Amino acid sequence: MKSDLIDIQVESRGNDVELTLSGSLGLPQLSAVKEKLDMLVEGPGCFYFLNLQNAHFTSDRYLEVFLELLNRVKAQKSALILIFESAELHDYFSKYLSIFDVYENRKAYKKSGTKKQLQQIGLHYGLRSGITVSSGVAVALISLILGWMITLFIIISSQGHEISDKQAQIIALQNQKERYIKEIDKLESSIGPLRKLGVVQDTTRLSSFGLIQDWVSYLEYLENTRREK
Amino acid sequence: MKPTLSFVLQLPPSTAYAKLESVVENLLKGVCMMLDSGKVKFSLFLDGPTLEVATKVPRPLMLGKLRRAIEDGSLELLGGGFYDPMLPLFPTELQSMQLKKHGKLLWKYFGIEPSGYFNSSMVWEMEMTELLEKHRFEYALVQEASLQDALGRTTPVSGWYTVEDKGSLMRVVPVSQKLSDAISNDDFQWEQIAEPYCRGGKAAVVGLNIPPQPGDIIPFFERLIEFVEMNEISTKTVASAVTEQNAEGRVSFLLSSGRKIGLPAAAKTCRELLIRRPEVNLLHKMLLAQFRRAAALLKGRERDDFFEMLLPAMSPIYYRDMQDSEGMRTPMVRWWGTRFLLQAANRLTDLVSFDGIRLDIADFMLEGYKSIWAENHSYSFLLNYRDGGILNILNAKDAENSVLGAWRDDGNPAVGFLDFMIPNVELKAEKLDQILSDREGMLTAAYDYQIKRHDAGTDIALLSDQHLVHGGQTFAIHAEKNFELSSTGSQFSVEYKLLNNSPETIKGFFGTLLDTGLLACGHTDKDILIDGVPLKFNFRDPLIFPDACSFEIADKTTTSRIELVFEKKTSVLVSPIFGASAQAAPEALQGIRVFPFWKMNLAGESEFSVLMTVKISKR
Repeated sequence: MKSDLIDIQVESRGNDVELTLSGSLGLPQLSAVKEKLDMLVEGPGCFYFLNLQNAHFTSDRYLEVFLELLNRVKAQKSALILIFESAELHDYFSKYLSIFDVYENRKAYKKSGTKKQLQQIGLHYGLRSGITVSSGVAVALISLILGWMITLFIIISSQGHEISDKQAQIIALQNQKERYIKEIDKLESSIGPLRKLGVVQDTTRLSSFGLIQDWVSYLEYLENTRREK
Repeated sequence: MKPTLSFVLQLPPSTAYAKLESVVENLLKGVCMMLDSGKVKFSLFLDGPTLEVATKVPRPLMLGKLRRAIEDGSLELLGGGFYDPMLPLFPTELQSMQLKKHGKLLWKYFGIEPSGYFNSSMVWEMEMTELLEKHRFEYALVQEASLQDALGRTTPVSGWYTVEDKGSLMRVVPVSQKLSDAISNDDFQWEQIAEPYCRGGKAAVVGLNIPPQPGDIIPFFERLIEFVEMNEISTKTVASAVTEQNAEGRVSFLLSSGRKIGLPAAAKTCRELLIRRPEVNLLHKMLLAQFRRAAALLKGRERDDFFEMLLPAMSPIYYRDMQDSEGMRTPMVRWWGTRFLLQAANRLTDLVSFDGIRLDIADFMLEGYKSIWAENHSYSFLLNYRDGGILNILNAKDAENSVLGAWRDDGNPAVGFLDFMIPNVELKAEKLDQILSDREGMLTAAYDYQIKRHDAGTDIALLSDQHLVHGGQTFAIHAEKNFELSSTGSQFSVEYKLLNNSPETIKGFFGTLLDTGLLACGHTDKDILIDGVPLKFNFRDPLIFPDACSFEIADKTTTSRIELVFEKKTSVLVSPIFGASAQAAPEALQGIRVFPFWKMNLAGESEFSVLMTVKISKR
């Protein structure tokens, strides 16, 4: 099986895909390496890191493979970054060092420039979504979105202030209501004994009073209530 | 003339760490009794965890006594690995860390550098010569049998010899096994046995195991003092015996497979265990894989701290074919070993900020064949695509446990997703269990793999033509087996597509087997659920549950949980996996066998497909 000829590792995380080749790679492994690399760069990924730190090449035919891979990755509007720091590999790639991006590790690339990487992400997602924008338009769009966001934030914060004012008013009114209820209770309790003696007639408690339409009925009602007492 | 003996005392590495404080307290008392008697000079090996506890028990005067005894030569503390590992099995960097860590403890608490190297398993390979010389050891204790082999003789061997490797030199001192056995078994003929060893005034080295139970330790020392006093034996430490005697000769090559590790006498090296026992081999290879990954990714302090986490997983109990908590036949021991490694794996994940999907196609097992290591944040597995696309390892990272941790007495590895095509016969649970146990009807042709990356995750697609013989007829099946991994979830899917390439109809049952090691450390009636309802399973007899939609095992002890969710109604065989216990009867539960299967009536050129989701989590 061709696939048994090479050690390969693939690690996908978000926009980054790190492919690691290791071991001694010569002509017998060439087609397997090409096949597997082609297979692995199909799919999502904006930055392809090809880690060759532990690889040793016994044929220069691999340079062609990596150049083809670079073209393929660029066609997807993604970036191919070679990862190695050994002098041996620098010698191996010496002819093409100006073509390939070479870094000692993934962190070093990430530190190498945010603008470049943002542009790359823009290009990549532009291709995937089918929307391409120039830098000027992108800046204008970002400013517009930022403006919207700031306006929205101001509106939300001013509304927040209003809401908290209203809430304070509601709380004050609720407190006032509670105070009035307490005062009414106090007043009611103070006239309680007078009401029992019949000195004061509590008209609010006469639920049937509203139904009495004439004086005769009213007098009869008074007579009845006295008799009951 | 009475013989001169050099006693080497050691606690077996399987001493229960839970009771270590009381063990150590009794041990210190026993050692002080020996020193107080003034009759016995002896050498003592204590591994790192025991030494650490010894310095913490509230007996500071005892430690002072030990220090004085070391100074006046009546006690010798031997050096070795911190966890007493079989060093030849591990990379040089880890070997050195074990020796350094143990040496540091001896220096810190006793102010000495040990001159003698001891390893309770007594394994030896020639590369040890250079390693021990580098760590300034002057002599190493080895098995008498290995020296007899090297010298080409069967008569007793005593004194010391030299070995040389890559320009390094080491003195090797044989521990007289026959004499050690005679003394520890109270054999009254011990004196006759000792006589050839001690001829010419030589001291015979006697290795004795201190009992691991706290209550047995003081009587052991009392008996030993009595033995020395009664027989008026002259004793000396091994170091002084080596200093006082001259070399007996040189050996050109020395190899020892060790003792008490569950290997037959014919075995030549301790590596034999890795070939004989797949469980030991898998643990060993997991450790090596982590070592290699950390060595490639980490530097400085982080690297050292991580390697330190690997050291407990080098303890000899994880590399022995033994039972009763002394080796890997015990489910609890397998769980401890895996737990140490998965704790380290989780730490490595944090250190390298890994949060996606990683596939590593490499020779993980160091057997000359590639396999695929796959992992995300919550599980990892080893996919062996050459032997039918089976899983050899399935780790639950959160629960820190290996799901496929069953032990099979026949020496075959426990597997996951081993596919079977079983003839269309009336299947009773016992019969089916036997078929699976005997591995009849397996689909094990090699697969080729493809890796398909997409937005939701990564698929490992396996493709193969499987050939099947049923009732004298051969059928060709084009099989596709897909493992679909998600970068965010704690689950993966396994999908099968089987195309009958033969003109004839295939009738039978298709299923896939998982030899889980779950519930072997302890179980209740509610640990196995089918469709969310506890299964009435007696953990003795196999049973088949028809038309299940989901199957779950939730292991309380190891806090691991696996759930299989089926796309279509599925029959599930559940059966216990038994192994031999100390009484030799196959009655120790080693795991639970799970076999989901489907009836198949596959006409020529037609396709059968099924999908199941595997959820791995912490209970």
